[in-house]
Amino acid sequence: MSAQGMPIPSAGRDAAADWMQNPVRLLVEQASYAYSTSDRDAPDFTLGPVTFSARQREIVGILGPNASGKSTLLRLLSGEFKPLSGRVELDGKPPSQLPLRERAQRVAMVHQESTLMFPLLVWEYVLQGRYPYGRRLRFENDADCLMAENALAQVGAKALLDRRMDQLSGGEGQRVILARALAQQPLLLLLDEPTQHLDIGGKVELMRRLRRLAEENRYTAVVVTHELNLAAEFFDTIVLVQRGKCLASGKPADVYRRELLEQAFETELDVETNANGKPRVIVRGGAETEIAEGSAETQEKS
Amino acid sequence: MRPLTPRRIVGICAVLAGVLFLVVVLSLKVGAYPISVSDVTMTLVRGALGHWNSIPSSDRLIVFGLRLPRIALGILVGAALSVSGASFQALLRNPLADPYVLGVSSGAALGAILSLVWLQQFPWSMQALAFLGALATIAAVYFLGRRKGQLDSTTLLLAGIITASFLSAVIMFLMTTVSGRDLRGMAFWLMGDLATPPAIGLGFLFVILLIGIGAIYTTSSDLNLILTGEKEAHHLGVNVPRVKLVVYVSASLLTGLAVSVSGAIGYVGLLVPHVIRMLFGSDYRLLIPASAIGGAIAVALADTLARTIVAPTELPVGAMTAAIGAPVFIYLLRRRFA
Amino acid sequence: MRRNRIGGACGLLALLCGAWICAAQNKIAQAALKLQTQQETKPQSKMNTKQTTREVIDEAGRHVAVPVEVHRIVALAPNLAEIVYALGAQDRLVGVSNYSDSPSEAKSKPHVGMPMNPNLEAVVAAHPDIVLMTTEGNRRETADELARLGIAAYTTNPHSVESTLESIEHIGGVIGAAEQAESVVANLRQRLDALKSRLGSVSVARVFFVVGEHPLISLGEHTFIADALRYAGAQSVVHAKQDWPQISLEEVVRLNPDYVVFASSDSGDEESQTNRLAELRSEAGWRELAAVRDGRVVVVSDEIDLPAPGLVDAIEKLARQLHTDVFEDAARCASPRASLTPEERGRFLAPTPALLLRANQERPEFRMTNREFRYTEHLIAQLCESASANPHPEAIACGR
Repeated sequence: MSAQGMPIPSAGRDAAADWMQNPVRLLVEQASYAYSTSDRDAPDFTLGPVTFSARQREIVGILGPNASGKSTLLRLLSGEFKPLSGRVELDGKPPSQLPLRERAQRVAMVHQESTLMFPLLVWEYVLQGRYPYGRRLRFENDADCLMAENALAQVGAKALLDRRMDQLSGGEGQRVILARALAQQPLLLLLDEPTQHLDIGGKVELMRRLRRLAEENRYTAVVVTHELNLAAEFFDTIVLVQRGKCLASGKPADVYRRELLEQAFETELDVETNANGKPRVIVRGGAETEIAEGSAETQEKS
Repeated sequence: MRPLTPRRIVGICAVLAGVLFLVVVLSLKVGAYPISVSDVTMTLVRGALGHWNSIPSSDRLIVFGLRLPRIALGILVGAALSVSGASFQALLRNPLADPYVLGVSSGAALGAILSLVWLQQFPWSMQALAFLGALATIAAVYFLGRRKGQLDSTTLLLAGIITASFLSAVIMFLMTTVSGRDLRGMAFWLMGDLATPPAIGLGFLFVILLIGIGAIYTTSSDLNLILTGEKEAHHLGVNVPRVKLVVYVSASLLTGLAVSVSGAIGYVGLLVPHVIRMLFGSDYRLLIPASAIGGAIAVALADTLARTIVAPTELPVGAMTAAIGAPVFIYLLRRRFA
Repeated sequence: MRRNRIGGACGLLALLCGAWICAAQNKIAQAALKLQTQQETKPQSKMNTKQTTREVIDEAGRHVAVPVEVHRIVALAPNLAEIVYALGAQDRLVGVSNYSDSPSEAKSKPHVGMPMNPNLEAVVAAHPDIVLMTTEGNRRETADELARLGIAAYTTNPHSVESTLESIEHIGGVIGAAEQAESVVANLRQRLDALKSRLGSVSVARVFFVVGEHPLISLGEHTFIADALRYAGAQSVVHAKQDWPQISLEEVVRLNPDYVVFASSDSGDEESQTNRLAELRSEAGWRELAAVRDGRVVVVSDEIDLPAPGLVDAIEKLARQLHTDVFEDAARCASPRASLTPEERGRFLAPTPALLLRANQERPEFRMTNREFRYTEHLIAQLCESASANPHPEAIACGR
């Protein structure tokens, strides 16, 4: 594991001994990717070189406007896509080269929502997370059930065990989907906009839960989100992407700079630091700035 | 939490097999030729023991010559159709998928008719072309049913219906332009007909259907995951393209074979898996074998009704399943979009 | 390990089932064969003939082992039932298909289902020695099935008037009524020949034959009815390779047929003909047709599409309607009183019930109705002969 010379983001705990015991788990180095509809045409979308790394118990937030390549980056991390250049390594092995089932034992993806064709019970759904273990056509044993129950308990949804998936509320559904990913016992947990359908209370609760899960299960988590402030509050590393380019990556305090955020989101924003040293983003002006655009420009200059 | 165990599958299948047995006995008993249950049993027992000469000849002819082969064909066709229906529902992630609704049956029928027009002399040509027809149709429907790279439920159904009506038009064209004795009977065969035993032999049909159903069964865990989403399944370690290929080929094989021996018997592939789901849940490891037996029950029962309801006149079994199936299909449709 | 065992057990079970089905199938075949041999041996004990079956090749080219003695016949198409009745073998007829209503007594025979889809159980239950089939009405699969069950199935292929006569002879041969068949066919042939010589000089009527009205369907050159039309001195205006082409009304107007011919079960009475004419005259497209305008619309008996003895009746009737002049002339020529005035002739031709009765008794094959009586020159000739020989009762009826 050669991580020397890499910009090593601090986990916030920051201790030399910890660094020895806690090597880099997810390493992304100059990784890039390109989509194209046909082989001959120029690529329709390129994701420029991205570099960051994360150790266990760390949470990485991927921020950026819509269609900026956040999901592509996530799929690159999951091993679904193989990087065109650079490397993506999970414990030293590129996930895209792992056999599918082995990969599923290490990387779990939590999608935005799950569309079910037929009513499924919660426990049936969570048990699906045990699929990567054992034979292809398999019947779950008691150990699998225990694992699923634990996973549900960890997301605080044990009471939902016998409910039908299509009768859950948005927040409950989100937790059950998370529980299925936990039942996979992954090293790396990838979440694609998990906060989308939650109210502010649910969002904060989810962030707290992710933090706690990362501590308890030693996961590394990568979260795609639009919640700038929550990301700054709860995540260790932030990757800011815009139109397929990685604008910045590093600690929230390093990434949350006004000009970077304004460039990324093409909106006028203010950044301030709150009491515990975490940056906070504020929408500037509101209605006023729209009326007087010129004044906004002068403000920016000053 | 009660995870599915092999014991539960065997138990449910045993119960269904019991029901199937009762249906078979009923079907052996009723018909235009009156024969009592005890006579049927005696005939069966003597037949099984090989005492052919002690059976009255007409009983033997009715039971072994007519009813048993017909019931056996119904069972095989029913199993094939409902398993392929269940598979298409998972493969296309559409609860309304069915070989008939998707036009796959029409494709197979067209293949079979083309083989009758061109390749009458080759014994396997009908099955082979029916299989190819089914394969080509499901491929066409699959690609027509995509919108922005995603399978769209409504588009898929529309694509299926349009493909089916297009193929029906081609079949009509063939049947009016090409005159001949075989093609005249075809209008009949298209409605579904179990009275004619397959040229390839029941045993052979059974073995091939078993291989098809077995191949689908090996992917049943994967199908469970695919039903919750292809991307999700991929991230859970399912080799989605491989599973889809296996299921697509096997289900087309099942449909093609079923259509080539019995014409298009509609709605079995749609209804039976749904009823099984309502009764026992939607786990494919149970659904596949239970649907196979359930489909066998449904077709055997429909055929028994078809040949007794206005005896001695026989209704086509396809008309019977459509008469029962269409209202239930509408009911399911309304429940889904309500 | 345990799962492997379960899978293995399932596989083994499935293979055993497959093997059983295969074996059972062979046994079924054996059973059917045994039955066949039994059938062959059974009558041997009763009679001392060496052979109980003989091999014939039917009109579809199939080899059929037909019992020498046929006691029970099943006719799987209406025309076959009619032929069996014509051959006087109706007592041996133990099963007919649905729609067998000619002659009307056939309706009371046990039914065995539709011609296309007979109930094989009902056929087996009738214990037939032979099952009669046609290529037109039945399916080849049915013949295959019957063969598999060891039941002799003789398939006829009547595709023309001539081959219908041959089919009647063949059926007579197969069911052991060869002499009756010969006389029936000879009679029919004679009638057809008489018709042919009568129509020899006449110009062919160009007719449009209506098979179905909605949609409008006519017939192709190779159909059975097209042949029957030729015998009746007519020719279909539609030339199609297809058997039952759909024709637009515009095309009919363009073809401008001399006659429009319908087939109907209620053809006998004049009423249906006038009704039909009135109907057509009220319809937009038909009205333009010269044939309809001038009232040249003929309703012919639907016997014309049944390849059975009744066909010749239908042909004769059609010929009379299409070529009225010839028959009227014939009537005049045949009659010794050819020089009758129209008024006298009208009186002469108006039959009394007594005359009709006697005519039908003497020549039952004509099956005369009131209307037909007027045209039947045979009868007129006969009547006139008897009138000259025996001057009283009929002569009074004849108006003299």
